[in-house]
Amino acid sequence: MHRTRILRNLDFILLLPVLLLILIGIITIGSATHMNMPNPNRYYYVMRQSMFVIANLVLGYYFLRFDYRMLKDLAKPLYLFNIGMLLAVMFFGHTVLGAQRWIQLGPISLQPSEFAKAIMIICLASFVDRKLPTLDNFTSWLPVFGFVFVPFFLVMKQPDLGTSLVFAAILLGVMIVCGFKKKYFLAIGGIGLAAAPLLWGVLHEYQRNRIRVFLDPGLEPYGSGYHVIQSMIAIGAGLFSGKGLFGGTQSQLDFLPENHTDFIFAVAGEEFGFVGVTFILLLYLLVIYRGLTIAMNASDNFGCLLGVGVVSMFSFHVLVNVGMTSGIMPVTGVPLPFLSYGVSSLTTNMFLITLLLNIDLHPQKLRFD
Amino acid sequence: MLNKEFADRFRVMMVCIIGIFVILIARMAYLQLYRGDFYYRQAEGNRTRFTTILAPRGIIYDCNGEELVNNKPGFVVSLTRNAGEKYSPELIAKLAVYLRMSEDDIQKIIDKNKDSYEPVRLMRDAPPDVVTKIEENMRDLHGVMLEVQPVRNYVNRELAVHALGYVGEVSDYDISQGRFQDLKAGSIVGKFGLENFYDQFLRGTDGSYREEVDVNGRIVQILSKVNPHPGQSLVLTIDAKMQRVAEEAVDKQLALLRANGVAPNARACAVVAIEPNTGEIKAMVSRPGFDPNLFVNGISSKNWRVINEDPFNPMTNKAIAGEYPPGSTFKIVTGAAALQTGKVTPNELIFDSGRHWLVDMRNAGGEALGYIDFQTALAASDNVYFYEMGNRLGIDLLDQYAAKFGFGKATGVDLYGESSGMVANPAYKKKVFNEDWFLGDTFNASIGQGFNLVTPLQDALMLCAIANEGKQFKPHLVKKVINDDGSVFKTFAPELINTIPVDKNNIELIQRGLRGVTQEGGTAASLAILPVVVAGKTGTAENPHGVDHGWFIAYAPADQKPSLVVVVVVEQGNYGALSAAPIVRRVLEYAFKEQE
Repeated sequence: MHRTRILRNLDFILLLPVLLLILIGIITIGSATHMNMPNPNRYYYVMRQSMFVIANLVLGYYFLRFDYRMLKDLAKPLYLFNIGMLLAVMFFGHTVLGAQRWIQLGPISLQPSEFAKAIMIICLASFVDRKLPTLDNFTSWLPVFGFVFVPFFLVMKQPDLGTSLVFAAILLGVMIVCGFKKKYFLAIGGIGLAAAPLLWGVLHEYQRNRIRVFLDPGLEPYGSGYHVIQSMIAIGAGLFSGKGLFGGTQSQLDFLPENHTDFIFAVAGEEFGFVGVTFILLLYLLVIYRGLTIAMNASDNFGCLLGVGVVSMFSFHVLVNVGMTSGIMPVTGVPLPFLSYGVSSLTTNMFLITLLLNIDLHPQKLRFD
Repeated sequence: MLNKEFADRFRVMMVCIIGIFVILIARMAYLQLYRGDFYYRQAEGNRTRFTTILAPRGIIYDCNGEELVNNKPGFVVSLTRNAGEKYSPELIAKLAVYLRMSEDDIQKIIDKNKDSYEPVRLMRDAPPDVVTKIEENMRDLHGVMLEVQPVRNYVNRELAVHALGYVGEVSDYDISQGRFQDLKAGSIVGKFGLENFYDQFLRGTDGSYREEVDVNGRIVQILSKVNPHPGQSLVLTIDAKMQRVAEEAVDKQLALLRANGVAPNARACAVVAIEPNTGEIKAMVSRPGFDPNLFVNGISSKNWRVINEDPFNPMTNKAIAGEYPPGSTFKIVTGAAALQTGKVTPNELIFDSGRHWLVDMRNAGGEALGYIDFQTALAASDNVYFYEMGNRLGIDLLDQYAAKFGFGKATGVDLYGESSGMVANPAYKKKVFNEDWFLGDTFNASIGQGFNLVTPLQDALMLCAIANEGKQFKPHLVKKVINDDGSVFKTFAPELINTIPVDKNNIELIQRGLRGVTQEGGTAASLAILPVVVAGKTGTAENPHGVDHGWFIAYAPADQKPSLVVVVVVEQGNYGALSAAPIVRRVLEYAFKEQE
């Protein structure tokens, strides 16, 4: 596709909020990290995040020249690659904070589970697209469930409950749009509730503890409840208009742990206040709304399913991350899209946005021109 | 096509997503608007810390300006009270190792301070190795901090400990009693001695820091500071050099008495050296003593056991709280009463056959001096003569004079815990022992045995009256209170509290008798060799529980206006001339060699 056409037809109502979120993210990362960095590298994280933003913008621009439908053919190898990558993490990954999630690639630590989310969206869209005509009763859905379950299980074994639940969220979005019956939803929900005790047994001890502490953070004011308590204090202390950039004592003085990654939202809450976080949440809502609109207007089922997957994933991320930092969701390692520092998640999320733009840019199958 | 046929499904999804965002924004409103003030305060509580800067207590100087008690900087290990209402067991376990305390002890200190907003002070004046360990492990010790605070320092350890006293953390009991009610738990107050009596001057006003700290408790910046106001200093009447001489003399003498077997239990002793013309106490010794520095940081249970289980009660200031029968030192009172009431004239000769003719009570050692007058009787401490004085006076008159000399009530010295002693009368004997009063009881009273009890300070005050024309000045240990800038806040001038109703010539008769004591033929002739003329009186107080207590009381110079009274009692020391007199001699020797 031609350069000028791409630029002219880009959905800026989607792109601008995303760029704004990324900018807010970079500023907040700067605020959260500069205190603890030695002087010449004071803005190490800011530089790194910015560098990858630019790289991803360039990559994204090239990606827009291709038709997203080519991904359909890549789905099968991607799925296998995904499984292989997750297995690799299992055997070669190194452990951070009790979970095996990282793979070292040169100077970059990669989190394969982040990429797995994007791959999952593509593969599921392709898989369901092919099965769509036959998806009319419960049993016809079973292959779809199985399709999701394999990577779900592998990620959960890392253990990374957060990411595995992202897969479930993507599946849920697809199920809603594909008309999965309400009575089946209710049945699954019922079975899920009944099986909760069983699930409790499957969870890792640290995960169980997180849920316990989620229900009562006071259980461990200096243990795993500490994060949530300090995070809630940070957000609450922001009051209406915030303490100003670099003015948040909770993060500047290190009371807030993981403040540039999973708990970045608390930094924003403390420094930008209710006005700031509401603005950020509305930006997300706009992104998601635009994403869903693009899915609705997609010219084929594959594009529609891709869009739905992306939207589901973003919604789930925002819900779980903001919920976690504000104490209404258990602590799971789910980053906040565009704001949290992290190469893997940034790359994945920016790719997914370009995917939405791509769907929007390619209304029908291109003829040779 | 999915999207064209089932647009409503997308709408369902959008509604769900909007629902999620409504919940999230509502949650933000709850945290930041509805509960915002609470969390704001929590964040402030996280980052700000109030630290008390203890006001250094006033310095205590001797009369020559020598520092007896001052302050040294010491590290205090404390726990801050930040967000946590509870301290984690892991933290307490770690601290227990570093501080070499038991976890229970640490928990007890925390519990004791739970209602205070102050940091909980776990260890005052921590030794250097503990400080190093805490500093190195600060990152793991969330909420632990090191403060530099003044720590009370008793420069000469045991020296004059019973007069100086010691400090410690104010107890709940102290606070409930009202005297320290405006103080916070953990404040340092005087617990004993002058530290206690003059606490309001010495204490000063604490200051505070408001600091910003990071998660590891490291200070980022000081937000505000209120300077502490140091306490006022005391200038004592005590002469540290004389005090030292007296203490050394006591220790040497006690060791000697124990070593040569005449007094195997001679471990307790009291000395008072006082100026009769002013009431200024120049030295005050009580034995056994203890090191007050042990109490400053909270005494260990091991040290406390050693002190508390000592049968000779190191914690008692025997100079003011020890009660002993006055023994023959009381003959001064009996003699003064007899002369003043005209029951005897100075020249009347009374025949001493070795025993009194009414009641079979004898002289010590079976002596019989024949016809003797007042002066000889006093110098030789003749019992029979004074039995007769008692006989002529009767117990009521004798008691009256005892009271006029100040026995039976506290002297009002500037220390807490003074005993009032006891002037026994028939009613007392009836009440306590349910027995009638016999002439023999009066005889005993007239030579200072039996029921009467005096403190060394009371006995000293009695002798002051003789040495100073019947005048008694209030005994005191503090000359003045001085401000931080060196200006004088308050001066304690000599305060005449009593003049005994004994004529000048009668007093002179007694003085002459007492001078005879230290001359050839007197009971303490060993003091004759001193370069100063000494008047004194020996005493041996009968002790039904062991070896008798030895007294010697003296003043000098006896040929001019006397300037110093020295009183010594050695518990279970045997004869006063043997046990107590050498200590008096040493003190006088020092005092008057120094002046010439």
